[in-house]
Order: sequence, then C-alpha cells, then structure tokens
Amino acid sequence: MREALIRFRYRWWPDHWVGEILSKRWTETAIPVIVLIIVGFWLSRAIPNFLSVSSLADTARQAGEIGFIGLGEALVVIVGGIDLSVGSMFALTDFCALYTLDVLGWPVPLVALATLVCGALLGAVNGVLIGYLRLRAFITTLITLIIYRSAFDILIQDHSNQIAAAFPDFPSWNFLGGGDLLGVPSVALFYILVAVFGHILMTRLRPGWHIMAIGGSRRSAYNSGIPVRRTIALCYVACGALTGVAGLFFAARLGTVGGDIGVGLEVIVLTATVLGGITLGGGKGSVTKSLVGTLIVLLITNGLTTLNARGGVNRMALAGILLVAAMVDIRWQKNRTRIISKVYVSPTYNNLPAPPPTEVGAGGPFEQNDKLSDVEVIGLGRIEAPEDVILDRHDNLYAGSRHGDIMRFLAPDYQTMEVFAHIGGQPLGMAFDRNDNLYVCIGGMGLYAIAPDGKVTKATDETNRSWTSVNDDSRLRLADDLDITDDGRIFFSEATVRYEMDEWPVEGIEARGNGRIVCYDTNTGKTHTALRGLKFPNGICVASDRKSILFAETFGCSIKRYWFDGPKQGKVETVMDNLPGYPDNINLASDGNYWLALVGIRSPALDLAWKMPGFRLRMVKRVPLDEWLFPNLNSGCVVKFNEKGEILESLWDMKGVNHPMITSMREHRGYLYLGGISNNRIGRHKLPGADPNFIQYDRRWGKQA
Amino acid sequence: MMKCGLAALGLLAASSAPALAQKGLDEPFQAPFREALAGKVVAYVPVSMNFDLTEGWWAGLKKELEPYGVKFELRDPNWNTNAGAQAVTSLISEKPAVMVIHNPDVQTYAKLLQRAENEGIYVIQINMGSAYRSSAFVGANWIEIGEKQTEAVVKACEGKSEKIAVVQGALSAAASAYTLKGVENVLAKHPEIKVVASQAADWDAAKAKAITQTVLKQNPDLCGIVGFWDGMDIGTAAAVKEAGLTGKVFVATSGGGERKGACDQVKNGGFDLDMSYDVPTQAAQMAGTIKWLLSSGVKAGSVKGSEYTSLVPITKDNADIATTCWNLGDLKK
Repeated sequence: MREALIRFRYRWWPDHWVGEILSKRWTETAIPVIVLIIVGFWLSRAIPNFLSVSSLADTARQAGEIGFIGLGEALVVIVGGIDLSVGSMFALTDFCALYTLDVLGWPVPLVALATLVCGALLGAVNGVLIGYLRLRAFITTLITLIIYRSAFDILIQDHSNQIAAAFPDFPSWNFLGGGDLLGVPSVALFYILVAVFGHILMTRLRPGWHIMAIGGSRRSAYNSGIPVRRTIALCYVACGALTGVAGLFFAARLGTVGGDIGVGLEVIVLTATVLGGITLGGGKGSVTKSLVGTLIVLLITNGLTTLNARGGVNRMALAGILLVAAMVDIRWQKNRTRIISKVYVSPTYNNLPAPPPTEVGAGGPFEQNDKLSDVEVIGLGRIEAPEDVILDRHDNLYAGSRHGDIMRFLAPDYQTMEVFAHIGGQPLGMAFDRNDNLYVCIGGMGLYAIAPDGKVTKATDETNRSWTSVNDDSRLRLADDLDITDDGRIFFSEATVRYEMDEWPVEGIEARGNGRIVCYDTNTGKTHTALRGLKFPNGICVASDRKSILFAETFGCSIKRYWFDGPKQGKVETVMDNLPGYPDNINLASDGNYWLALVGIRSPALDLAWKMPGFRLRMVKRVPLDEWLFPNLNSGCVVKFNEKGEILESLWDMKGVNHPMITSMREHRGYLYLGGISNNRIGRHKLPGADPNFIQYDRRWGKQA
Repeated sequence: MMKCGLAALGLLAASSAPALAQKGLDEPFQAPFREALAGKVVAYVPVSMNFDLTEGWWAGLKKELEPYGVKFELRDPNWNTNAGAQAVTSLISEKPAVMVIHNPDVQTYAKLLQRAENEGIYVIQINMGSAYRSSAFVGANWIEIGEKQTEAVVKACEGKSEKIAVVQGALSAAASAYTLKGVENVLAKHPEIKVVASQAADWDAAKAKAITQTVLKQNPDLCGIVGFWDGMDIGTAAAVKEAGLTGKVFVATSGGGERKGACDQVKNGGFDLDMSYDVPTQAAQMAGTIKWLLSSGVKAGSVKGSEYTSLVPITKDNADIATTCWNLGDLKK
C-alpha cells in the first residue's frame, strides 16, 4: 500500500520540473518580476484608481520616456560599461527639440530627426572616448555628465525664456506628447516597437550576441574576431540616440527647459537597470529586465509622490529599495546555480525484482566465468574512452576518443593508429550505412556522418520540441547508439534530455524515464522523436525482421523491441527484463543472435535505494557528489541473447586486468572487439567456433553471405 | 360680530406674536455653500514643501477651509519638475475639485493645467504662474517687484560705483523671468548702471552664495545686488557679510515676509530691502477664491481672473513692527 502510494506520487508528481524551471535563463528575472508584482499590488491597494485606464496610460507614458533611456543604459551596461551622462544628454536633447521647434521653427519631422542625431552625436563622444580611446567608462561619462550639463546651463541662460514664451500647438507634436492609439500612449507604442526589436537584436541577431560576448569577456570577444571597439562605441551611440528619443517625447509632453531637467536621472535609470537584474559588469541582461526595472522604479516614485510622501522620503525609499534589490540580486545570482544543483536531481521510484544469480556455482545463464581474462589489448594508453568500436570491410578498427576524434587502427596488427576524422564532442555508438558512410552518435552534439574519405557532415542535431517538456528538448544532448534501417532511416537513442554528456551517471540516481529514441530519415533529412520516457535507452540494433529495433534501457535493466514498420508498427514489447546488470550496446552476432554488453552489475544497495526516492533525494542534497551511491559501472560482462529473450552465453572476466569495463562489443571475423567508455584500450577476444568471415555491416547490407 | 371676530383674530395674533418674533430668518445661501464645500478635495502641488512660502500657504488654506469639511491632498515634488508634472498628471485622473498649483516654470504644467480645467477641475495658480491662464492667479506681480527692487538699488548706488549684480532664480520660472523683466525696465531708464553679473542660482542659497562671492571678488566696489528670493538670498547676504561689505552693498530681495526669513534678516542688516508678498494674506485670498468658485458652481475655465498681492516693502523702518512679518510656527497652530 505504502509502496503503491510512493509509486503513484513519483509517477505523477513532476519533481523534476522545479530544477528545470530554475535552470531557465528567464528565472534570472524572477526576483525583479516578483518585486514588481508586490509593488504593483501594494500600490493598487494603497491608491484608488491606480489601475484605472487613465492612470495606467499616464504611467505608461512616463515609463516609455524613462524606458527608452533604460534601454540605452541596459545596452551600455551589458557591453560592460556604464553611462552616467544620460541625464545631461536627456536635458540637451530636450533643449535641442524645443530650440529647433520653438526658436528655429523647424517642422516636427525635422525636429524629431535633429533630436535623434543630437542624441547620437552626444553618445558618440562617449563612444569614441570609451570604445576607441579605451578610457574608463565611469570617469568618462562622469565628465561628459558635467560638460553636457554645463552646456545645457549656458544654452538655457540665453534661450529659456524664448522657449518658455512659445506655446507650440501642432497636431503631430501634440500626438508625440499626449496622443494615444486605442488608449495606448504614443510613446508606449513606440517603446514596444523598439523593445521588440531590441529583444530580437539581443537574442537572435549577430550584433546582439557580439554585445553579450564583449560584456561577458572583452578579451575573449576580441580573440574571437569580434570588432570590440566599434561595437562598444556603437552601444554608446545607441544609448545617446535612445536618450534622444526620450528627450523628444519629454519635450513634446511638457515643453520645458527648466534647469533641473534630467538632474539625477542617471541614478533613477541605473537603479532601474540594476533592479531589473542587469548586472553591472556586463554580459548579462535583457530587454525584459530593463522594462521590469523601469516599471518598478517608476511605480515606486510615482506611488510615493501620490501617497503624499515628502520629497526626501521618496528618494530615501528608492535608495533603500536599490540597496535591498542589489543585495538580493547578488545573492540570487551567486547562489542560483547552487540552488539549481541542489534541486535539479530529482530521484524517482524504480522497483526491480531481485536479479537472477550470477555467482559461480549458482547456475543459470549468467553464471560468472573467466572467458574474457585472456583478452588481447589494442592501443593501450593511446586511446581514451572508446565507447564503441567498429570494423570495416578491410578489417580496420574504428573507435571514438574523448578528444572528439574517430581513431582508426590499421589492419592487420592494429599497431598503427591515426585520426580518421575530428568531430569534437564525445563519439559514442557507430554504424556503417550501405555506402560505407560511418554514422556516429556524438554526445553533446548529435548525429554525424563520416564519408569513407574522412569528410564529416552533420546529419542532425535537433528534433521536434515536445510541448510538455520544461527543458528545451529539441536539442540533442546525449545521442548514444544507433542503427540504420533498410529504407535509410536511422534510429538512435538519446539517453537523457536532462543531463549533459559528462553527468550521465547521475541518471542512474534519478532512474526516471528521461531518455528517448529519435529517428533521422536520411531520405528527407527530417528528424522526429519516435519514443520517449525511456530509462536511459542505450544500445540499438535492427532486428531480424527488418521492421523493428531492439533497444536496451540501461537503468530499466531491460531489452525492448520497437516496431517501426509492419503490422505491429508503433508497438513496444519487452524482450528481457530484470537483467542482473545495466545493459549497454547491442550488436549482431555471426550466428544471427545478438551480443549485449552489461556495463555494470546491479548491487542490492542501489536496488534498494531505487525503491526509496526520498532517501536518494536526501543523499544528493546532503552528501557531496563523490560520495553518492552511484550504480556500479566498473565490471560487467558480455552476453549473447536471441529475440525470444533467452540468454545463450555469457562472457565474464573475474579480475578485469586486461579489459575492465565493457560498454560495447563487435564481432568481426571470429573475434569479439570490446570497447569501454572509461578505458584507455580496446580489447580483442577470440571466439571459438565463430564464423571467420563474418563482417557485421556487410552481412547487414547483403554484401556477403 | 364682524368686529368681534376681528378682535378675536387680533387677540390671536397678539398672543402668538412673541413666539414668531423668536424665530430667525433662514439664510437661503449658507446651506448650499456648506454643501458645495463639504467633502470637496483641494489638491496642492508646490514646487517643494519645507520652506516658508509653501508651508505658509498650506497652513493658511487648511485653516480656512478644513472647518467646512474640505479635504486636502498634498503632492511634494521636492524641487523636481518632472516629479511635479507626474503629480499633476496623476491628480487630473483623480479629479479633485480644485488644484492649487505652484509652477516651477512657466511652461511645464501649462498644457496639463489646460487639460485639468477641461476636465472640470478649478485651477488656482499661486505666485508663480504658467503660460496658461486658469480660473485664478493669486500672487505677486513680479514685474512690479523687479522694478521696485531695482529702483531701490539704483537709488542706493547714486554717487557710488554704479555696478550692480543680479542673482536670478531658476531661469524659466515666473518669479525669475518676470522679475528680470522688471529689472530690465528700470535699467533701461538708467543707462549709467552697469550690470556686472546676472546669473541663475536656481533658488539655491549655496549657489547664490558662491555666485556672490565670485562677483564680490572681481568687483569689491559693487554697490548693489538685486536678488530674486529671500530664501535664496540668505546666501547672497552671507557672502556680502563674509566680504565685510554689509551696509556698503545694498541687497534687495523679495519673499513671503516670514519673520525669520525676512524681518530678522533686515534687522540684522543682511537685506536692505525685502519686498514681501505676505503669505497669510495670499493664503486667505486663495481660500476666498476657492470658496467663491466652489459655491458659484461656474464651469471650470469659464471665468479667469487675477489677484495680484499688494506688496509690503520691509526695511529697517518697519522690520520691528509686529504686523510686518508673520510667524510660520504661529500660523500652523
């Protein structure tokens, strides 16, 4: 009963979502958004009519103006700088707009253009000084803050009364200042347009990525060939232009050149930027953060003014909130990854019956022996992490290496080793197609094809996004093993959609069905997910009927069969379950049966722990990673089975001196070649009585008997 | 019988007459007046609180209007024009009955005030008006102030260096721009007077002090200073005093006539002339205007009038008289 409850709870309650949601980039914005919601809620209770249409429109109008400056400031902060001169630039562009309109009498479109150009030029001064001459941003903009302010003071001394005397009344000017479209203020509309563009720029376009890269690490960006100086300079120009836009709308709204225009604005804008979660120092930030920060600051200042707070209180509150926000933000940014690592692993219930015996003398098909103890060793110390091995028609031996290479050992003595192809990532399962192209699953990258001449092409690295997954599962994280059907479809397993290549053993602690089988069609180039919810699907081998595949579920300790064609299309049947170990790759044997590698043997401790998800959760939270109860992945065996699910033979190595870990095996001309992902060698075992002419993929493609 | 009846009636009348005589006549206008005021909201947006003028108006208005059940809303932009504009904007959507506005400059609120009156809110502008003329303006005539101050300075300069300085407030504020016009009007008649400096101190005493210090260093023979506000010119006077020129440099300024800010300063020689626009009187005039507007029920913006304050020149001669100045502490009581 209790077990049933536990099973039910872990089956239906999505524990793993917490970690996945927290790992989303947008949760960095979570704290600011929560603050915004609290502030908004508090003000809507404290101020009557706060949520009325006209009040919201007024807020939006102001938010638009400060929002533009906020966007500019965000850009500059993301690229790793700071702009303190925005307040003065705002005043000057405001003056520019009103001077050209009221004194020079220019038409409104020309006024708008002049104001933007004025802003851009003012920003360009900062840009050239900081971007090209590489002065410090803080000092430089502090100085331009003073210079621009002085220029403004001098200008208004002469012209403020001329401007004050004018009462400009043009429809287009009034639309900028007070107009709306369906109740949305003109400035807010324009802001939305710019913000959407800004979002696309920062997330989807090359210049935005360059800006992020420079902010993250200027030196690395420079070394990658990004035009660092120009990009930085342009960010300041953009900041100036955006400030100009704000100045234009402000001029149209209030038409004033009072001496205090823009004084202290840099503090408000910087507060908004930091509150939104855009880190001073660069490399992090988004349009949403800028908007959220602006809204928080604006709501607080406006709210306090409306609530009769005396001026000093207002600033004090803003400063206090900035302080608290900065503190929370720093703690959050700093601890976010730690929190994620604490909650990301979410073990679930995995009940297996007691395994069949393997002890010597216990009998049964899994009884241990020492058949593999005399394994020959190939490439000792020269190859690292050959997860899978494969041989071509000319008896050359191929294996992946941890360095992202496909290595080739030349027949007949396998003493000469060469790099056959360099791909990157971690090469895992391999298979030859009809035309001798070698298809390889690359952990962290996807499915790649290598032509016989060593030319590498990407087959696929993404599949369809499933709607119920929080993690973006369209990218392939851990493509594992594959086989190719007669009509050119490649079925490959992806062990997990929750962990990266280097963390794969953690799946053994979680024991959830996080894996899937993906199908790539070489004829159409399309990829789709065929099966999901599998417990670390691993080895794949096309079955004898050519309409189904056999696949291993490593942490389900079972072999299943999936029909992709024929009358049973779409069906999954269990071939064998409750294996004594964790099954890995499956390959064809010369007698028509299948070889299966058991990468490790089950232990009673983990079997028990698998029934106790709460225990494992406590373990991952309280115990350091290297002390976790991991599945045994060190010693295993090779077994031969048939499609009926009978074990025909098992090959063990009691001491594991020559070849400790087995993740894969491949029969070739009377020998069994062994691979192991944590090994520095390839093993070769003579199979007594095996077909001396057997070449797996020649038989597979009918090129030989 | 008839006579008898009349006599009886007369008797009846006579007997009931004393009762009638005790009943007063119901004044038909006071009840609607009370009704018109009760629960009405008066919103007040000064450029900032915490100085004599704005505190004085606020206290005076409350004293006059609160007994009639008028409610008050205060918005303090704290010298921030943008915050003030926001406050006025949000007030418009809150729709108080009356807005009392103290403009930071002649332009910023102008359109907003127009919008407010279109929405049916009476707008009273106090002391510093805007380019928009609203229902009422209560305040000083800055041109007159500028003229009187300058005339006094010019007179004091007779036979001296004839060099004067002008310490302006915030350039586009009404109290600065219009006063400057008054200064110019007088100077046009006195070409012999040389203005050695005319700078904006933005209503800031520290700035005014700094400006005056520089001017006095360059022109130790300066004979007079026209300052635009006594709250700011405390700095001007301090600079004059530090230079040891008290009594030699004639300092003219203007202000609300608060005891500490005006009379005391004149008495101790800081100012030689302080043109006072007596804040309690202005507050009373505003309150009267509000009463009149609310009880009249006229459409906002349909009548427009001005109430320029009669000025009180404070000099050593009248600074000692108790009624010349007022006391903020007393007004608040």
